[in-house]
Amino acid sequence: MSPTIFDTALYASLALCALGLIWRASAWFRVRVGPDAREVTLTQRVTAVLRGAASALFSRRVFHILRAFFLDVLLQRRLYANEKLRWFGHLLVVAGFTLLLLMHALAALVSAKLFPGYQPTLAPYLFLRNFFGVMVLAGVAVLLYGRWRGRTPLPQVRRPIGAAFMALLGIVLVAGFLLEASKIASPRAFYRMTDQFVGSTNAEKLSPLRALWASEFGVAFGDLKPPIDPGLVEEGRKLHRDACAFCHAQPASAFVSYPVARMLAPVSSLLDQVRADVWLLYLHVFACFLGLASLPFTRFFHVVAAPISLLVDAAGPSSGSTSAGRASRRALALDACVRCGICDARCSVAPVARYLDNPGLLPAHKLIATIELSAGRLWRPGQDDGQGRDEALRAAEGAFLCTDCGRCTSRCPVGLDLQDLWEAARGDLAAAGLPGTAQWVRARPALAWAESLERSAGQDTLSDADAFYAPLSADRSTFSRCVQCQTCTNVCPVVAHSTDRDHGVDLTPQKVMNLLRLGMRDLTLGSRMVWDCATCYQCQENCPEGIRVADIMCELRALAVHRLGSVRDLRELA
Amino acid sequence: MKYALFLGCKIPSRLPAYEASTRAVLGHLGVTLVDLEFDCCGYPARNVSRGAFAMAAARNLALAEQAGLDVLTPCTCCFGTLRHAIRFLDEDAELRSRVTQALAAEGLAWSGKTEVEHLLPVLAREVGVDALAAAIRTPRTGLRVAAQYGCHALRPSNVARFDNPMAPTIFETLIRAAGATPVDWPRRLDCCGDPLHDANAPLSEDMTRAKIADALESGAEVICTACPHCHLRFDAVQAGTSDPSIRTLLYTQLLGLAMGLPEKSLGL
Repeated sequence: MSPTIFDTALYASLALCALGLIWRASAWFRVRVGPDAREVTLTQRVTAVLRGAASALFSRRVFHILRAFFLDVLLQRRLYANEKLRWFGHLLVVAGFTLLLLMHALAALVSAKLFPGYQPTLAPYLFLRNFFGVMVLAGVAVLLYGRWRGRTPLPQVRRPIGAAFMALLGIVLVAGFLLEASKIASPRAFYRMTDQFVGSTNAEKLSPLRALWASEFGVAFGDLKPPIDPGLVEEGRKLHRDACAFCHAQPASAFVSYPVARMLAPVSSLLDQVRADVWLLYLHVFACFLGLASLPFTRFFHVVAAPISLLVDAAGPSSGSTSAGRASRRALALDACVRCGICDARCSVAPVARYLDNPGLLPAHKLIATIELSAGRLWRPGQDDGQGRDEALRAAEGAFLCTDCGRCTSRCPVGLDLQDLWEAARGDLAAAGLPGTAQWVRARPALAWAESLERSAGQDTLSDADAFYAPLSADRSTFSRCVQCQTCTNVCPVVAHSTDRDHGVDLTPQKVMNLLRLGMRDLTLGSRMVWDCATCYQCQENCPEGIRVADIMCELRALAVHRLGSVRDLRELA
Repeated sequence: MKYALFLGCKIPSRLPAYEASTRAVLGHLGVTLVDLEFDCCGYPARNVSRGAFAMAAARNLALAEQAGLDVLTPCTCCFGTLRHAIRFLDEDAELRSRVTQALAAEGLAWSGKTEVEHLLPVLAREVGVDALAAAIRTPRTGLRVAAQYGCHALRPSNVARFDNPMAPTIFETLIRAAGATPVDWPRRLDCCGDPLHDANAPLSEDMTRAKIADALESGAEVICTACPHCHLRFDAVQAGTSDPSIRTLLYTQLLGLAMGLPEKSLGL
């Protein structure tokens, strides 16, 4: 490969990588998640980050950060605590890749400096290069196996770019092995070297060296058929010692490439003819450059963002930051998430998510929705395009069904403060017109909702029978005994505290029961009484007729979520 | 005595002191607690889907049944939810078949063998007041305590089967066992306001403040809680206000102090 092509490609990839990194890192100061993040300026965020970094580095917390660097970044302790198999696979990939990068890709900068006699074709480097490559491939295999074994009934977060990156890594490694094998077997490479170091390409004159290299170094000469004369081999050894041994060890220690070279022997002259080594070199090198240039734009960016996130986490909890600092930590979190799905698997509301068939409840899915929302890509009420509407509504449902149990945060292998992120995201969703159910329902009076339902009668699009499963309010016998004695209203603490018109209830529990008796259930669904019920069960406990008032209230809410949800975009028409 | 400990969502993340003090006190009294991989009790799903609510609860009960254990929870709302789910599943064949199907898909089953117990009745009835009295080292003599029962422990009484819903005594008995003096306060059986907070914060806070004012007026020095939702709501309303405030103490902390357990082990 001509040095000009190589250098141009290298520097172009490096430049793209550097520009991309700057662009991605700038997002940590630009992207806004959470209502408080909209209140702070860019300058405040930059200042907060610099101040935070300085105060962490010049205090005792620097030891926490160092500790985190070794245990969490290098040894990936948090992944180990969650999933041992995945940790093993990931560590194999990281270690193998890093060692290949240092010893092989950056040989001129690292190996040549550290080991003065370094030559890629000498022992132990022949062996090590193969060994590190196998580590990476084995790691990838372990990860793929773990992914297959750990598949769950709920859809996992999509990782298409991650898969593309895995494929690219595979191409680099396989091309590398094939390249090495083709060079080992190549007579053309042999003659190129003898021309340079022995001063001859004459097959006759080189026959002792040819004999040795054919029998012990794996070169597949088309015109040299076994058996090879052992005397000739010994003669070749002397020549080898003088001309070749400084740079060439026996390649058998390249325990992958050498057997491959042996297998390629029958076609080695054909490979030489089509210059397979050159093509493989281009493939190997350009796949590396492609990976380098695309690093900031793929999931591989996590090699930058995840360690930063872990170190920032070690510097102190986000609750200790200012809102400017938290804003940047949230933006970093969106980049640092590696979509490992460990949070999803451990999520407290995962059974609810499965039952409702709404992955929007799960942390990794919520994080992706937060990215969409912060980028303005999530559908919001008022947008006429119906596309993405369902997804946005499901994301909102998920965000507000989260119980903030903190398991996702405690399990996150990259140390994200997800509780803070969820709270911020809920604020953003509410501001975007996608608040929690209790809020969007109360934005309109009960009567307006009932009218919308009446207008849309017969147009129900929801087919989920469970959504309409409301046995208590559908069965007259549960409330027909109501004698309107008002005991429920008299014991209701919500009614008692409803002295303020703005925050008070509209109906009383007894009136809700009466509407049910009159067959006007739709009129109760948007009622503040139903939505402000504290479920203290005073009404139910005290009802002289044994009517399950509070149970009915809860059921009406669940029914309202679906019934009113289906007429929600009639809001503008009302 | 051996139970599967059901902490729910609030305790581990927002009130770890309740977990610590529960483990410390029960450990000392010879109650073995087993940790299973429980999830959310189902409480928040109730406003969305009856099926999801029952499913989430039943899944937890099935895990306990698989381990052959009854469930003990220090959270009143989890207690109410799990008990409610059992009732719904008992009375509603269609719901039960849906849930059974969903559980079977995960290789789980629930036959109804698992009992759900709240911490307070376990202390008062299973461990017993006598055993508690025997464990007391430093009685909190003279401390005037307002017992915060929590709605979902008491009502509906046919589901909770906790105590007399109109005139319960179990919490006061337990306070006396710790050597402290329970105060009679008119709002002791009222709602703390927490379940309403997301929907209507001002109204919720009115309710919480009314309770605090009532406890203070009745001469209490401490509001004693046995539910993370009540406890955190009292603390949240009192944070950063200039109103007269009252100390909150978890019952497990009060009992632990009386038993002479180190404050640190009680999360104090």
